[in-house]
Amino acid sequence: MSTTATTTLPRIRGEVSYWAYLVPGGALFLAIIVLPFVMNIYFSLTRWPGLGDPTFIGLENYVRLFQDEVFWTSFRNSIAMIVAMVVVPTLLGLLLAAVLFDYIGKKFSGSVSSGLRAVYYLPQILPVTVVGILWSWILNPQTGALNVVLRSLGLDGMALNWLGSTDTALPSVMAVMVWVQVGYPVVIFMSALQRVDPELYEAAELDGAGWFTRFRAITLPQIKPETFVVTLTCTIAALKVFGPIYVLTRGGPENSTNVPSYFAYQNFFPKSQVGYGAAIATVLTVIVLLVAAIFMVLQARSERKEAEGR
Amino acid sequence: MSTAVVTTAPTTGPVTPARSRHRRGAMRWVILGVITVGGIAMMIPFVIMLLNAFKSPQEYSNAGPLTLPTDLYFDGLINFWNRVDYPEKLWNSIVISGTVAVAATLVSLLNAYALGIGRVRGRLWLVGLFMLANMIPQESLVYPLYFMAKQVGLYNSIWAVVIIFTVIQSAFGTYLLASVLGTFPPALLEAARLDGASRWTILWRVVYPITRPTLSVLMIFFFIWTWNEFYIPLVMLIDNSSQTIPVALAALQGDRLMDVPTINAGSLISLLPAVLFFLIFQRTLTRGITAGAVK
Amino acid sequence: MRTTPTRLAALTGAVALAAGLTACSGSDDGGGGDGGTADATSLKLWHYESPNGAMGIAWAEAIKVFEEEHPGVTIEFEEKSFEQIQQTAGMILSSDEGPDIMEYNKGNATTGLLSSQGLLTDITAVADERGWTDMLSPSLATTAQYDESGVMGSGNWFGIPNYGEFVTVYYNKAMFEDAGLEVPTSLDEMVEVMDTFVAEGVTPLGMAGAEYPAGQLFYQLTLSQVDRQWITDYQMFTGPVDWQGPELTFGAETFAEWVDAGYVASDSASLKAEDMGVAFINGTYPMMVSGSWWYGRLVDEIDGFEWGVFNFPGNTFNAGSSGNLWVVPTNSKAPELAYDFIDITMRPEIQAILGNNGGLPVAADPADITDAKSQELITAFNEVLENDGLAFYPDWPVPGFYDVIVNSVQKLINGSAEPATVLDELGAAYDQGVANAG
Repeated sequence: MSTTATTTLPRIRGEVSYWAYLVPGGALFLAIIVLPFVMNIYFSLTRWPGLGDPTFIGLENYVRLFQDEVFWTSFRNSIAMIVAMVVVPTLLGLLLAAVLFDYIGKKFSGSVSSGLRAVYYLPQILPVTVVGILWSWILNPQTGALNVVLRSLGLDGMALNWLGSTDTALPSVMAVMVWVQVGYPVVIFMSALQRVDPELYEAAELDGAGWFTRFRAITLPQIKPETFVVTLTCTIAALKVFGPIYVLTRGGPENSTNVPSYFAYQNFFPKSQVGYGAAIATVLTVIVLLVAAIFMVLQARSERKEAEGR
Repeated sequence: MSTAVVTTAPTTGPVTPARSRHRRGAMRWVILGVITVGGIAMMIPFVIMLLNAFKSPQEYSNAGPLTLPTDLYFDGLINFWNRVDYPEKLWNSIVISGTVAVAATLVSLLNAYALGIGRVRGRLWLVGLFMLANMIPQESLVYPLYFMAKQVGLYNSIWAVVIIFTVIQSAFGTYLLASVLGTFPPALLEAARLDGASRWTILWRVVYPITRPTLSVLMIFFFIWTWNEFYIPLVMLIDNSSQTIPVALAALQGDRLMDVPTINAGSLISLLPAVLFFLIFQRTLTRGITAGAVK
Repeated sequence: MRTTPTRLAALTGAVALAAGLTACSGSDDGGGGDGGTADATSLKLWHYESPNGAMGIAWAEAIKVFEEEHPGVTIEFEEKSFEQIQQTAGMILSSDEGPDIMEYNKGNATTGLLSSQGLLTDITAVADERGWTDMLSPSLATTAQYDESGVMGSGNWFGIPNYGEFVTVYYNKAMFEDAGLEVPTSLDEMVEVMDTFVAEGVTPLGMAGAEYPAGQLFYQLTLSQVDRQWITDYQMFTGPVDWQGPELTFGAETFAEWVDAGYVASDSASLKAEDMGVAFINGTYPMMVSGSWWYGRLVDEIDGFEWGVFNFPGNTFNAGSSGNLWVVPTNSKAPELAYDFIDITMRPEIQAILGNNGGLPVAADPADITDAKSQELITAFNEVLENDGLAFYPDWPVPGFYDVIVNSVQKLINGSAEPATVLDELGAAYDQGVANAG
């Protein structure tokens, strides 16, 4: 919490507590999220095909889940998704945003940097089905653009079975995810960079600081909030990723690209085992919650340090 | 950042040579080139999509997806347009995405004001709680939401979709805004307070203008994310007349067969409004006001 | 601006509303229509066939005929997506927003499940009365009847199919001619044909390992070794299935052999059915083992070579079943009109339209089928029907089996597991599914 024990702007007479501002969002949240989640937990303790009445079976679903090998494989693959959707896009996105904003924006014009930003963001606007179709065409081992180009360059040995071989399927999916994801950090970071007071840069420049020193000493600390937000939301997205897996590989080949959300989907609908699917969803949510909690604590600590530094 | 950094910008001394040293120089072109090549690489799949959007099914099957169409084929698109009554779907998508974008941003602002600036007790846990909305897989929300919507009579109504997505998107918005407002300079707030402003006034007169760039980001994201949402609209919108574009596009994919060129064409035209929205709102992103320069 | 009591009241009102929303959750499952009356003036009809496919065309005509014969009644037709019906049919039919009649997938996991939950009308009496039961041969009728636990093959009638479907072999006549080959009539001859192609550097069979085609080929190979009883045991649990028995072992081992021999591309594990179809259309593969659902598209899109079908050589039994069913939801507000519509779709004229546009009618008069290309397909289908040869699909018995099959057969394609191991995996999933169903 901040150094002052009381909240900012102590109340004046007749004024509503800050809590009142939370009422609209809070009420909706209770109805749309909390209640369904509690119901979901209830379903996870039952066996239920989705229609009729559920049968209570206690923790049986969870026991079965923890013994399911595919479940553990899918979590291992989640780590790969985190690399592909958090680590690489955040670093790359930060770099791109900085170059576009600081360098290109200044050396050329704002329109050029805006245009390039739009280009990098475009994959985020594309519906997932189409992402799957387009990349399947590119990665098709026999007729796909990638292999055709490689073969025409004489690199036959590199024309691999990208999405069909258990060795290359996961890396291929990861590469597609970087393509999909990188625009998001670019947009957020570019808006963050605008918040930074240019006078800080000028002062540093006068002191003889080069671009990289300025970046490290001024930019990075200033955009800490957005950095936290980007890494946390990308991590959540990585843990929950479903669409691209579904359209590219259906979790295959041989479960090598199966992820928890897809595994949950396989059990929710085709198998009509809503109870089991609910158990998977609950475990997934708990894991995501834990990861998020860690992030939040780190973020809170960093904010506290900031506030104390003032 | 809040402490006023007093800079004495040097008015003396030759400014021009430094500027011209920056202006000229091959380095900037090199960097621009690299970034542009990266951009082109990003666009390759889109080019492929364009190649196939106006290709006849025969040509697509015979010549493959990577060739230029010999004739521009519009029949698939026109048929699709009529079949699903595309203008109706477009309108539904715009209404839903637009309403969610505005409502969710508003809710996010209210939440973030209390959490980021008001610093109510336990705010970090509250932010985390709100983020629960983003962490829960949508499949697990669907059955309960279906039951509730039926009870309230909102099943098969776009308002069910609007309400649900307002909540889900505002979770992200609350988090982002609360984080940003957490570093809001207290000096500004106190100054306004000294002028006798209430919390409500401060919200709209001081906080809102400064956070406009972030709010724009939220509006853009919320619009685009809701635009492409498929699963919850699939479950909640039964009548064709209330469906959105992604749900309508699903009609092109049957149990075992799919109509690929029309999917490409349909996706292309459904992409355009979202891209347009992005390009328009992008301008507000660049009209940034830094937190330090107020009054 | 001061915060007034009004604003506070508004905020409180919002909370109350939300509380009201959350308080009202119960487990109410849609009110029941009481079976509608003959005075209904509209019929809400849904299907998810594309408008230029055989069913789409035939049903559009049926709609016209219906409206002519029922002046004052309109059909409110909505074209749905397969995806939506597949995922949400249960939810829709449990509410008031459902249709009066709709197309729905045959099988235990779909019609079986919904019928066992009481969401579909039992039309046994109507079917008898109107003569539909006589029009459908036994193997087609299997998928129209479901017992109380939702297993097909016996029990009451819950749906009526207008068409059938089955798996056959499409072949490129030009490539066969160039290689000097005849249509094979036994599995051995088929192997010889494929050897010839391999010797010329051509992969003979198109394949798609990421979707249903791989599993269907495996099933076809297995079916070459079985009898009717085995199929009934496999599909309807009338007896145990030996996953290491000769039939399935033959299927898995032969599949693996075919991959080794190069009859099937070893890098096809990630290909989708669409890729396989397109490759056949553009002449990459001389043969494709897949279903009658491709027929209409092949007619439209293949130019440059003659093509035809022949039934899987040597097999009495082939994958296939009735097509999707017309079902009448329990909540239908106009069931009588629904029955009239079904009746119209079973008439010779409508069945003929279906047949002449690349579909497989169940009750057409052969004399009405004038389109030569369609005759070819229908003749092949009738051949299977005469032998009571429809064996349904490999993923039907157990919910979720489709994913397991795809996964396991991918291992055969990639050569990463032995056939016996793959069969063990399949067997384990099958047995667990059977246990759960009981």
